[in-house]
Amino acid sequence: MDADFLINILLPALWEGLLVTLKLIILSAPFGLLFGTLLAVGRVYGGFFVNLFCRFFVGFIKGCPLILLLFILYFGLPSVGIYLSALLASVIGFICCNSAYNSEYIRGAILSVKEGQMIAASALGMTRIQAIRHVVLPQAMRRAIPGLSNEFIYLIKYSSLAYMITLIELTGAGKLIFSKYFEPDVFIMIGIIYLALVTITTVGANALEKKLAIPGTQGR
Amino acid sequence: MNTKISGILIILLALVAVSFAGCTGGESVESPSGDALPTEQISGDVTVYTIGIDGEYPPYSYIDTDGNAQGFDVDSAKWIAKNQGFEVEFQPLAWDGIIPALLAGKIDMVYSGMTITDERSLKVNFSTPYLQVDQGVAFNNDSEMTFEDFMAGKAVVGAQRGTTGAIWTEENLIATGLISADSLKYYDNFPSVVTDLQNKRIDAAIYDVPSLRDAIAGKPMEIRGQIDTGEVYGIAIRKEDTELLGKMNAGLDNLMDDDYWQELLVEYKLVGASPR
Repeated sequence: MDADFLINILLPALWEGLLVTLKLIILSAPFGLLFGTLLAVGRVYGGFFVNLFCRFFVGFIKGCPLILLLFILYFGLPSVGIYLSALLASVIGFICCNSAYNSEYIRGAILSVKEGQMIAASALGMTRIQAIRHVVLPQAMRRAIPGLSNEFIYLIKYSSLAYMITLIELTGAGKLIFSKYFEPDVFIMIGIIYLALVTITTVGANALEKKLAIPGTQGR
Repeated sequence: MNTKISGILIILLALVAVSFAGCTGGESVESPSGDALPTEQISGDVTVYTIGIDGEYPPYSYIDTDGNAQGFDVDSAKWIAKNQGFEVEFQPLAWDGIIPALLAGKIDMVYSGMTITDERSLKVNFSTPYLQVDQGVAFNNDSEMTFEDFMAGKAVVGAQRGTTGAIWTEENLIATGLISADSLKYYDNFPSVVTDLQNKRIDAAIYDVPSLRDAIAGKPMEIRGQIDTGEVYGIAIRKEDTELLGKMNAGLDNLMDDDYWQELLVEYKLVGASPR
């Protein structure tokens, strides 16, 4: 791989791809967190049907390879008259996957909050929803950060499947260059960029965990 | 330690051991210099060459419902093998990784409707050209677009990654600013392109004419224009494999002089594509 190839061909293409990757992550992550939280709350506190629905959804997503989910969303849905753009199909696929796994981390964290807190909150006159919102979740979400950051890292890597449904993100951009110039070093370059993204996420998650820590509750 | 946990640990250790054994087993096959080994094997006293093909590229090469390799190039390769006194086996591979597989020594040649391009020629040697093809552009029957609209950059175009159709579109429609980079959609294989043309996510599909004709057969689509790119097909062989290149060129020469060549051209509807 010479400098000319690197500077004039590879890096500009990977830059375009990286922007798409970031767009995918930025569009998917907030909804993944929101729906993950709702799914977790639904499973712990929901009634019979809510619980059943959440379990079914999480079970289905966990059992379905993401690439298959993307193919269903992009190539399968047109047979019932639903035409999603490649971007929308990818984002919906990532949100489904991200929220299903997030919900398990958050559910574990919710279960780790002692039962007595719920009772104490109702003794103070809080409704069930208020207690979940103001007492249980603030504690649970802090405890879920290590797991959630893990899942965020997975999301970065999920995004590398979008090129299979024509959305040219980082991996797809690299693959296009590779299929034209056959320089295997392309993949090393892509690997370095993903590693950088993951490292930034890890450092960010650690900082967030420290910043949100409540003195006396988590130190040991 | 709990017996359950130690049981799991033992299984994990066994797995790690097995995977390491697999690695070293694989390495011992490689030559010490680290150079890729050709996959040719000697069976009895006949050399067996592995031919890499695209498994979804009719009429040149495809895998039939029984799992056998079929097609114009497959039949040609079998004839040449017999003519030159070696044996061949066929290995379907992903098209965008087929040259790297050749360079890595996983296969001995690519004989599967591969266009000779400058970029590919930098990495591999090509045999003498054996077919010349044009690029075709297909539309849905009910589409109002014309071939002129396509050439003027009004269509969203679909192409298979790594094909000359994709490269032609990049060089002649995107590089000239007629369409934006977003207007060329890349697919993993050509059947997906046809599916998305049917879904109307794209307006036009570009591919080598004979294969395009095959891919849209029986679907409500038609080829509305052809682009004479002057491209020719050759057999790709590793640069250092000059002996094999010599054999394939001699075999091709004999094949194209034989009546069987004309039979094949008729059978696979490629009459007129042969340089002879």
